Amino acid sequence: MKFSTTLKALGFTTAVALAPLMAVSAQAAGTLTTAVAIDPGSWDPIDTFLVDWSSAANNIFDGLTARGADMKLKPGLATSWELLDDNKRIRFKLRENVKFHNGEPFNAEAVKFTFDRLLGEEGKKGPQQSNYTSIDHVEVVDENTVDFVMKQPDPVLLTKLAGYGAMIVPPKYIQEKGDAYFNTHPVGTGPFKFVEYNPKVNLVLEANPEHWGGAPKLDKVVTRFISEANTQVAELQAGRIDVATLIPFGLAPTVEKSPNLDLVSITGPTVVSLRFNTKEGITKDPNVRKALITGVDRDAIIKAVLLGHAKPIASFQSELSFGNDPAMKPVPFDLAKAKKMLQDAKVPAGAPVRIDFRGNDATFREVAQATAGYLQALGLKPSLQPHEPPVLLNDIIPNGKTGEAWHQAWGGWTFDYDNTAYLMYHTGEKWNPYGSDPKLDALLEKQRTVYDVKEREKILQEVARYVADQALELPLYNQNTIYGVNKRVKNFDAPADRRFRFTETTVE
Amino acid sequence: MAGFILKRLLQAIFVILAVTLIVAFAIRLSGDPAVMLLSGGGNVTEQDLQNIRQALGLERPFYVQYLGFLRGIFVGDFGKSFMGATPVSALIAQALPATLLLAFVSLLISIVLSVPLGIYAAVHRGRWPDQLIRILSLVGLSFPNFWLAIMLVLLFSIVLGILPPSGMEGPESFVMPALTMAIILTATNVRLVRTSMLETLSQQYIMVARSKGLRDRVVLYKHALRNSAIPLVTYIGLQFGSLIGGIVIVERVFNWPGMGSLAFDAISNRDYPVLQGAITVLALFIVLINLLVDIAYGLIDPRIRTE
Repeated sequence: MKFSTTLKALGFTTAVALAPLMAVSAQAAGTLTTAVAIDPGSWDPIDTFLVDWSSAANNIFDGLTARGADMKLKPGLATSWELLDDNKRIRFKLRENVKFHNGEPFNAEAVKFTFDRLLGEEGKKGPQQSNYTSIDHVEVVDENTVDFVMKQPDPVLLTKLAGYGAMIVPPKYIQEKGDAYFNTHPVGTGPFKFVEYNPKVNLVLEANPEHWGGAPKLDKVVTRFISEANTQVAELQAGRIDVATLIPFGLAPTVEKSPNLDLVSITGPTVVSLRFNTKEGITKDPNVRKALITGVDRDAIIKAVLLGHAKPIASFQSELSFGNDPAMKPVPFDLAKAKKMLQDAKVPAGAPVRIDFRGNDATFREVAQATAGYLQALGLKPSLQPHEPPVLLNDIIPNGKTGEAWHQAWGGWTFDYDNTAYLMYHTGEKWNPYGSDPKLDALLEKQRTVYDVKEREKILQEVARYVADQALELPLYNQNTIYGVNKRVKNFDAPADRRFRFTETTVE
Repeated sequence: MAGFILKRLLQAIFVILAVTLIVAFAIRLSGDPAVMLLSGGGNVTEQDLQNIRQALGLERPFYVQYLGFLRGIFVGDFGKSFMGATPVSALIAQALPATLLLAFVSLLISIVLSVPLGIYAAVHRGRWPDQLIRILSLVGLSFPNFWLAIMLVLLFSIVLGILPPSGMEGPESFVMPALTMAIILTATNVRLVRTSMLETLSQQYIMVARSKGLRDRVVLYKHALRNSAIPLVTYIGLQFGSLIGGIVIVERVFNWPGMGSLAFDAISNRDYPVLQGAITVLALFIVLINLLVDIAYGLIDPRIRTE
């Protein structure tokens, strides 16, 4: 900031005049302030599917299972679990002497109430139910034991119990106060309890010293709703928020250069690829698809467009994803080899490659332009076709109207390859308009019935390898999750999925 | 006079109807809220989408939804937000005062700045203070308000660290958003005051006042300012209306919890009821102010009534 001295001089008079208003930036000791983009409007776990909900509410509620910042599954409100009756029943031993913030005891009834609500009429109105339909119902065995009776096998269920719709809610409180009251006055068993909620402004939580995992080290956590990235960064620079969650790549250098801030850039859930039209055009031929993958320098794109805030991938998943095979490496970039491959496949010079993408994604627009540059170098004739996202997602892709390639960006909070792979490669799925492969179908169906972690991982890795062999897509990169963090924050364990849990965090 | 007011009222109703219809129709073209709500989920089936649409009342035909919304306007019930089911009227009740207060403060600052500057320019017509004020007002007119807002944040919040960059917390929160709006308003108002003042100063009664031997100050403030204030007041009344409309960007940059932010977020989230409610209330406001100005005009000038 070269001109800052001039600005200082200019603003000096005003500064003197406004001096009595000073010290607005001082943050209360023991209070951590974060900013998220969207106010979910309701804090009821079954009402929303927003990451921003979870950034705050993961501190209020607990699930039966839990997941740390390392994305490893661990016990939550359940201390242990076992599979019974040929995997048709999962029995959970519940943590004892746990109380909700209102004093209500946590027990088997609370678990049953939570899932009856999620799977019943109330849950039907919200977006969470669809994720848990593999559960038929929950049975109370005794005060501290419950059985999940399964409708169909669901190996991802244990992960899904660690968040969102499966968060355990207090039965008596909801029955007495009603759903509408619970929406704006949430009560859970988590490390922080609700203090106040100002719609579109903030949510204030205070420490729950009786939390089963130990008392949090902070006194208060304030979540502010700021939907403009520049404003979040300005608040961060002014020292009025400690953790900002909305940092576009373009603003990352600003955060990096600020002396009081740290930029945290870690592996995130979102993966980006160019899927191929395997039915029409030059991409019908798997050898051509392989040539295109070889001919695009993904490392250079990551460096130049994403400023390094992404990692190369070999399949449509991040390295944290269950089913990722570290032994699988991305196809190395080799322009000469790619040209030769195209020649061998008898692709005429100037053959068209159209890329359909979401027009509102400014980052991807640059990625697409860079990709088009490489395709041009291969002697092809690339064109870029931006679309309104609803048109692309509801018409162009599902109805198979894409060009030779189209933009797919996706990431599930479960970090399980099944979450995306099934919908992208199984015959007849919305995100698979062109393919129909019995072998792939069989693998995808089989992994959904296998509870053995090692065996299931092997099948998912086989799916990834098969997709790569068939060159069904050009895997571009795995986008990082970026936070701007004030240096006064200590022990901030940055979660890849943005589901904060501030139990160990402190501020100076 | 009664006929004139009736005619204006009917026109106002027509405008409100047109605005609500366009908004309700246009936002439904922009995407499916059910898809938005489910976008974080993995295994979404068509049935899940149907359930959500049903819960939100979106499976009904457009005219049924629109008529339901119109009926709601009369009883003050704009429905519930798709995000968390908060009543839209509650969200508006919270946001409207924030916006009105900001608009009012901006207008006030602008008046305090533009009246003395405009008079000074008029009195020193053609000399350097006049030229300077006119150049400055031209510069002020050319500022895009979001750029001005960001520059103010850079200076006062980041370099000097004396003002909060966003939010509505106390008097200090008003400084930058109100200043951003006021600078742009002042640029137009200064020119208006100057022209209006010059016109009045060339009137015969001013000459008479001067030749009576009245002091300059009395002539200026007692005779000239009062007379030139008439067009000014009506203009500022109209400005208040467009000010509320134009506040969206400033509210967004400063994360002001007002009507602009409410409408903007509602568009991003495809929150039909909130957007419809917010736009209707804003439109009502602007129409109401225009109506009052029209009526005031009619009262002052009988020629307008018969038009």
